Amino acid sequence: MSLQDFAASRAFTLGVELELQIVSRHDYDLAPGAADLLRLTSRRKLAADVKPEITSSMIELSTGICERHHDVITQLLEVRDALVEDAARLNLRLCGGGTHAFQDWSRRRIFDTPRFRQVSQLYGYLSKQFTVFGQHVHIGCTGPDQALWLLHAMSRFVPHVIALSASSPFVQGTDTGFQSARLNSVFAFPLSGRAPFTLTWKDFGVYFAKMHRTGVVESMKDFYWDIRPKPEFGTIEVRVMDTPLTVERAAAIAAYLQCVARWLVLEKPFEPNEDDYLVYTYNRFQACRFGLDGVVVEPRTAEHRPLRELIAQTIRDVEMHAIELRAERGLALLREVLVAEDGSDAAWLRSAQAREQYLPEVVRQQCLRFEGV
Amino acid sequence: MADAFWSLITTPWALQPDTLLGAALLALLAALLGEVVWRVLRWPRLLGYTLVGTALALAGRGAVGDEPALRLAVDGALALLLFEAGARLNLRWLGRNPWLMATSVAEAALAGIAVWLVLRSLSVAPGVAGPLSIIAIAVSPAVLQRVVGELHAAGQVTERLLTLAALNTLYAVLALKLFSAGLLLSDPGTWLEALSPVLFSFCGSILVGAALGEGLALIARRLDLREENAMVLLLAAVLLALVVAKTLQLSALLVPLLAGIWLRNRSERPWVWPRHFGSAGGVLVLVMFVAVGSAWRIDALVGALGIATALVLARAVAKALAVLALARPSGLGTSQALCLGAALTPMSATAWVLALDFGARHTAAAAQLMPLLLTTLALLELSAPLLVMASLRLAGEIDVQRKGKKQ
Repeated sequence: MSLQDFAASRAFTLGVELELQIVSRHDYDLAPGAADLLRLTSRRKLAADVKPEITSSMIELSTGICERHHDVITQLLEVRDALVEDAARLNLRLCGGGTHAFQDWSRRRIFDTPRFRQVSQLYGYLSKQFTVFGQHVHIGCTGPDQALWLLHAMSRFVPHVIALSASSPFVQGTDTGFQSARLNSVFAFPLSGRAPFTLTWKDFGVYFAKMHRTGVVESMKDFYWDIRPKPEFGTIEVRVMDTPLTVERAAAIAAYLQCVARWLVLEKPFEPNEDDYLVYTYNRFQACRFGLDGVVVEPRTAEHRPLRELIAQTIRDVEMHAIELRAERGLALLREVLVAEDGSDAAWLRSAQAREQYLPEVVRQQCLRFEGV
Repeated sequence: MADAFWSLITTPWALQPDTLLGAALLALLAALLGEVVWRVLRWPRLLGYTLVGTALALAGRGAVGDEPALRLAVDGALALLLFEAGARLNLRWLGRNPWLMATSVAEAALAGIAVWLVLRSLSVAPGVAGPLSIIAIAVSPAVLQRVVGELHAAGQVTERLLTLAALNTLYAVLALKLFSAGLLLSDPGTWLEALSPVLFSFCGSILVGAALGEGLALIARRLDLREENAMVLLLAAVLLALVVAKTLQLSALLVPLLAGIWLRNRSERPWVWPRHFGSAGGVLVLVMFVAVGSAWRIDALVGALGIATALVLARAVAKALAVLALARPSGLGTSQALCLGAALTPMSATAWVLALDFGARHTAAAAQLMPLLLTTLALLELSAPLLVMASLRLAGEIDVQRKGKKQ
């Protein structure tokens, strides 16, 4: 299979995918309920789509193509309420968060479809350890070259959205010290990380053909890059975020990315450059480890600046675009996150655990937060 | 001297299940057989325990229900298992899914009625058919928990299976108490004397159950239940409540079951503890399965086989039909409902203890009741756990990847 054509889409349209945890109401461990939940949800008419994921205790929901933050939040709230109601009938519960706090990965089951079986055979225990839950945001691009340009220009905002969404401090029952430990699991995959620096679809096609010839890559699906082009949708897909604890925050982060994309494409505040990636993994680590308190390096000026400050700065930079896109409410929510005491989801989870000293109870409260009660 | 030396060799082999040596050897054998069954066939270990019981029964050395030491072990094990069964019962789920509640009521009522009709049509006396059909309502939480726990089953069928079993055990215990009380109170000569113990036993069981649940919640809030010391505390509290219940002539089944339900439902906070309270509970459970497996007698089996078979079939069909009829509105697929219906078969220690307690108060009925019940148990003791395992496997709730893996 060679690289397919890039289907152009309307600029700055949005699509949001959220991977959710399905937990048992008995012990709040992950529970294999995806098939049951899908059977009930298929009886409903919803604007968003609900799909199975690699393990049977994970479910993925995705919005249709949205123009505005408002469309995203409306669709997410609708599908959330439907899923929460169906889960309740099955004695299950749903929550956000990038990892399950205390699940034992060796006990996870792989969802029974040929592709997932194949993935689990290739990656072995990695695919079970990959029981992590992420948010993906698609941003519409008018053409492939614009998509690649935007992909690389966006790379310096990757730490921003990692910090804003970080919600995975606990893994297998212990506090990792990270704000987003989920990305450490993603990093174990051979084709993760950043996309190669190519700015035209033609050059990208050459790279893809070389990789394809090695037999390592079958299709674009085999790349687990932080941002990857999605030719069949005509989008770039930002994949670094943890699933936030609430759909409101998920929608707000999508709005942030949309505003940044519009600002970058229309104002071109800088040109992307291979050297931007010198500090990429360092900055990414800072965001994973320390979240909003991480200190990242500006690749051009070598200046060290706290992420909290940089995000606030970016929100000011994109203000006009937020007005155009009617995304102010989303950005307002993020501004609150920046100033609040335990603003980040990871901090919220840690303070719940400090209070309860009991991770199953933390997961229960995580469910309540997701349900919006 | 020679005699003394000789007796040193022979006496230990004069096997009596009630001697310490006999008990130790039986436990050894049961544990070994359980492991063999698990390693070779991937069947739950409880089948190994039950097989030892079956061998004892065939040898005519089965357990007798009124032996105090054995009865205490069985009551202790059952108390732990019923407490766990109660603690799996989420009453709020029944509120959120009223069709599940309807399923529970329907399968219990239908099974009771079907068994009653079949027994009456085979001209079993009403005084025997009554308690038997009530006992047949209950599906053994002990067997289900063992099978589910050992095979790490998880999913909708498993979840509902445990919920329905906890509920129908509760119905059966309550209904048999009412039935027994009705018999005692219906005698105009003695009803006044019978009234206060009946009421006392009823209210007392509920009160002690709630008190135990509350006490355990206090322990659970302060200690991590996954640690061994907290576990011992929990185990001791359950056994203490059991002793209190037995001394005050309360229901040894109702108290732990209600305590579990109380603990689970008094707040939404999740409690997690190792199954059967760790290893100490495991020993009691093993003894219980050996004892129950050996309780039947081969001479009684021949006479009661026909009626017992009819009872088992009527009960199974009734339960399966009720589950199947309400599957869709309760959110279950058809194949899942078939698996759930088929898995609602085990009858074990709960039924035995119910019948023993009933028989102790109504000796006339017991003479006819016990052979029928024990034969029913004999029919189900090996087949039902296998059926549960097959159903859960068919429902896809036992991980196939775990097969053949040591753990």
